[in-house]
Amino acid sequence: MIFELGRILQDHSDYFSFLRLVNYITFRAIMAALSAAVFMFVFSRPFIFEMHRLGFQDQDRDTGLAVHDKSGTPTMGGLLIIGAIVFSLGLWGNWTSPFLLYPLIAMLWHGAMGVWDDYAKIRRGSGNRGMSERMKLLLQSLFSAGFAWAMVGPLSPMGPEMATRIYVPFIKYPLFNLHPVLYGFFIFLFVIFVSNAVNLTDGLDGLAITPSLFVIGVLGVFAYVEGNTIYSSYLFYPYLRGAGELTVFAAACAGAGLGFLWYNAYPAQIFMGDTGSLAIGGTMAVISVLLKQEFLFPILGGLFVAEALTSQIQDKIGVRWLGRRIFYRAPLHHDLQHKGIAETKVVIRLWIISGLLALLALATLKIR
Amino acid sequence: MTFLAITSIFFLAAGLLASWAWRRSLEGPKRVVLTGGGTGGHVNPALAVAEAIKAREPDTRFLYVGVRGKAEAVIVKRAGYPLAFVSSRGFPGLRPSMALIRFVFAVGWGMLRATGLLLRFRPHWILATGGYVSVPIVASAILLRLVRVAPVRIYLHEQNSVPGQMNGLLGRWADRVLLTFPQTLSYFPKNGVVVGYPVRHAIGSVSRQEALQRLGFRLPPHRRVVFVFGGSQGARTINRALVEALAYLAPHRHRIFIIHGTGLSQSADYHAAQDTEQLLRELYPAETLDTFSDFYYRQDYFHNIADVYAVSDLVVCRSGAGSLNELARLGKPALLIPKANLPGDHQVMNARAMKQAGAAEVLYEDVLLADGKVEIRVDSQELATRILSLLDDEERLQRMATKSRGFFRRKATARILSELYRDKLYDNGYPLQAVETGPAFFSNAQLLRRLQAAYASDRRGYDPAAVVGDWDDLTYYRHRAAALLAASSWQARNVGVKLIGLTRYREKIPALLHLLCDRTPAGRVQRLLGGDFEQVGFIRRNIVTALSVIGHLDSQVEQALLQALKDPYYEVRAETCRAVVAFGEQLAGKDAWVDALLERLGDSSFEVAMEAAKALGEVGVDGRVLEALVGLNQAFHWQVRNAALMGIKRLLERRVFSPSEEVLRAVNRFLLTAPDFRPTFTIRENYNAIVALCRQAGASREEVLPDRSNRVGARKDA
Repeated sequence: MIFELGRILQDHSDYFSFLRLVNYITFRAIMAALSAAVFMFVFSRPFIFEMHRLGFQDQDRDTGLAVHDKSGTPTMGGLLIIGAIVFSLGLWGNWTSPFLLYPLIAMLWHGAMGVWDDYAKIRRGSGNRGMSERMKLLLQSLFSAGFAWAMVGPLSPMGPEMATRIYVPFIKYPLFNLHPVLYGFFIFLFVIFVSNAVNLTDGLDGLAITPSLFVIGVLGVFAYVEGNTIYSSYLFYPYLRGAGELTVFAAACAGAGLGFLWYNAYPAQIFMGDTGSLAIGGTMAVISVLLKQEFLFPILGGLFVAEALTSQIQDKIGVRWLGRRIFYRAPLHHDLQHKGIAETKVVIRLWIISGLLALLALATLKIR
Repeated sequence: MTFLAITSIFFLAAGLLASWAWRRSLEGPKRVVLTGGGTGGHVNPALAVAEAIKAREPDTRFLYVGVRGKAEAVIVKRAGYPLAFVSSRGFPGLRPSMALIRFVFAVGWGMLRATGLLLRFRPHWILATGGYVSVPIVASAILLRLVRVAPVRIYLHEQNSVPGQMNGLLGRWADRVLLTFPQTLSYFPKNGVVVGYPVRHAIGSVSRQEALQRLGFRLPPHRRVVFVFGGSQGARTINRALVEALAYLAPHRHRIFIIHGTGLSQSADYHAAQDTEQLLRELYPAETLDTFSDFYYRQDYFHNIADVYAVSDLVVCRSGAGSLNELARLGKPALLIPKANLPGDHQVMNARAMKQAGAAEVLYEDVLLADGKVEIRVDSQELATRILSLLDDEERLQRMATKSRGFFRRKATARILSELYRDKLYDNGYPLQAVETGPAFFSNAQLLRRLQAAYASDRRGYDPAAVVGDWDDLTYYRHRAAALLAASSWQARNVGVKLIGLTRYREKIPALLHLLCDRTPAGRVQRLLGGDFEQVGFIRRNIVTALSVIGHLDSQVEQALLQALKDPYYEVRAETCRAVVAFGEQLAGKDAWVDALLERLGDSSFEVAMEAAKALGEVGVDGRVLEALVGLNQAFHWQVRNAALMGIKRLLERRVFSPSEEVLRAVNRFLLTAPDFRPTFTIRENYNAIVALCRQAGASREEVLPDRSNRVGARKDA
């Protein structure tokens, strides 16, 4: 809103020339982060009480661990995060940019799925029985298929010759041009995988939000570089016209995330629920694809990948097929807890790991 | 485009023609298509209805549609109805598999054939009695009716209390679903009617003298006659058990005679007649076998089954709806051997109902160890004893016969005719006097959940019979659990193991031990990914748990547990250590155990080391143990250190040592820092305290004054 207003007023009269500030991505990004954080600070308390009043509380879940008394904490904090991001983008975003719209649609779609899932869990009174796995996968596939189609087709915001190029970290030039069908299929799997990975990571107080902040922050930096002609040619990155908008988006996410961590840090007063984790996961996946940084994700979001892999290997291969446990417990954070590390310590250690991974990912900007 | 138009016009014209022909031929004499089969239980009701229709309208034409090589091929031909074959297969489940592809092709091809048959025969009615055999006909009739070609009426008959797959799937498109049990009405609220089970007319109206003359074999006079059969296809367990039981029955050969129907099954899985023959030759020398003929007669299937019923004093059979209806119609006392783990447990439900009415005795199948393999068996000695004791008690047999008569609903055939002819002679619209079958059984999963909850809440006072509510039911559950041990999927075996433990089925300990020590390797791919044996890790772990729940320890159990302590899967080792704690008093001080546990302290899995340290606290009796536990003072995992301290504490409590400066010095060497702590949330503590107080008060108040509103309020707060 302010972005549009500023532009109009600038055209109107020289008196408003100071408003050319809004043309600067950095300014808008900082303001977006601040407004999202302020939104969180203002609305979190009433939201927590309202969720408790409505009975939207976390339900008992079978994790195979002895101590895990978290039931009763208000959940669905994801709604708050989404609200803050939409609010701050409303103020500082350029709503005509596809780079804003794609991640926003991803966030809302996955957020809606998460609401359904959370609501189902609450209504059935069990943390294990939300939306059926099949239904979840179907909805995710619907979105991913649509998104993949848009990315390899005419709707891609980066132009047809760019759309199917594969960039790999540590290598300066695009590896090769993948066939659109193959690339579309790859995007399809990637988006499903990432959104589920974040969903699985969300299990301890503050565990999902901070690594997400790191990932989205680094992606924001990449967006700034790739959206800037000078930096992108200097660092040999493909120049993506308008990708800077993703920096604003990422900043809004970061602001909302920090505001959320305020309340979500151990011991948590609110959980993001599937609403939050799916929404963040979907957004992260879409931003990575838009920036052609899909192959950076295994490094940048290594924690999420590890969580997803441990969980799937344990469940699908171990418990369902081989009839034994492969890890002590799954996903990763429960395994660490089982080995006798306190929740707070597990969370902070995993933060450190994800922070280091984020640094490594940043290093790929230069090491190529 | 033109091609499309021509084809559609062609089909339209063909449809119109067929429809016109069909409608025209409705004026002629009645034509009825019968279908259903696979087993005699599906075929016989169809034939019973056919007989009744024939009696009413003798010029009715019939066509029986079946699958080659199944029961109907033999029985229907014998009964003299024209027979046509289509192809069909059992539904293997939605999981992608070769079987599913074969199913789709077989049924697709069968439906094409069935459409041809229907268009040529143009029936008024189709009566399908279930089984996958009837799927092609019913499905293509429904389709033909949908495109307005076939003005045919479709009737399905369901023999069991839980609808079969085909009836459940296609039932909604039938004109009427004719049911045997009122309970089944809930599956077909729109078009279900309760009619009962039609029994062939030939059964029932035979006197003993008449039957004796018509039997195909000589029956010596003054013998008590037992008729043993496992349904039209035959039951492997019953056949084998009877053959083995002959040895126990032979001494009484002067006063009994056994008629054995082995069954028609000739599938690759089980060839009833050959298998029985072979087993007889294996078990008995040729000269003994020859002498058997004076008290034992065997045949694969009795087409004159009414005559056989008429001469027999006791029937031993399965408790499917078909057999039970025939028994009830004739008023025969029976020894029932229900097949376990069927959908809805209908055979067991039936058998239980008969037993409760005093009309039958029940003998359950059991899992026995034979040649190192787990197999479903009927205990042959038990079978012989039960048969003999029943035969000796003439008065009891009489009583059972009286109770048996009229156990099931009568006039089923007439009721079905009234539905077919729509003459409203009977009102089938309301549930008729129901068969009292008692409450439904728990599924294995439900049972497991209940037992686990009860065991978790009170280990010492745990009593499975109290949870189940009835001793007889517990017996059945135990048998059902044991039957799971022979399942081919490990998940089912795993459930079986857990249930045997929680129902405290002590007699099955040898089977559990056998599975625990079974070292048949798993498939190559599984082993590559970390699997080991056919009896997967979870099964072995749960066997150890089950053994400690059963709480019985003898030298064999001890040997197996000692071996389990070296199992390749860590959870089995850890669980064994926990079992040692449970059997602590019996194992304390045994050198073998102390040695084995000391070795486990250095286990690669910290969980095992931890449990071993705790277990040593229970069984240790000398300084060796203390020394080893103190040696853990700098173990990498704090839980191991903690467990070592717990072990030492336990040694002190058991007065193996007395507290002393020396112990204190040893304990002082422990590294106490740990990356874990236990948080306390003050607000939760206060809340929990109030909840606990209210629960206590609520519990005591409920006894005096069951105030509903109070209870609801209390629960809401909790």
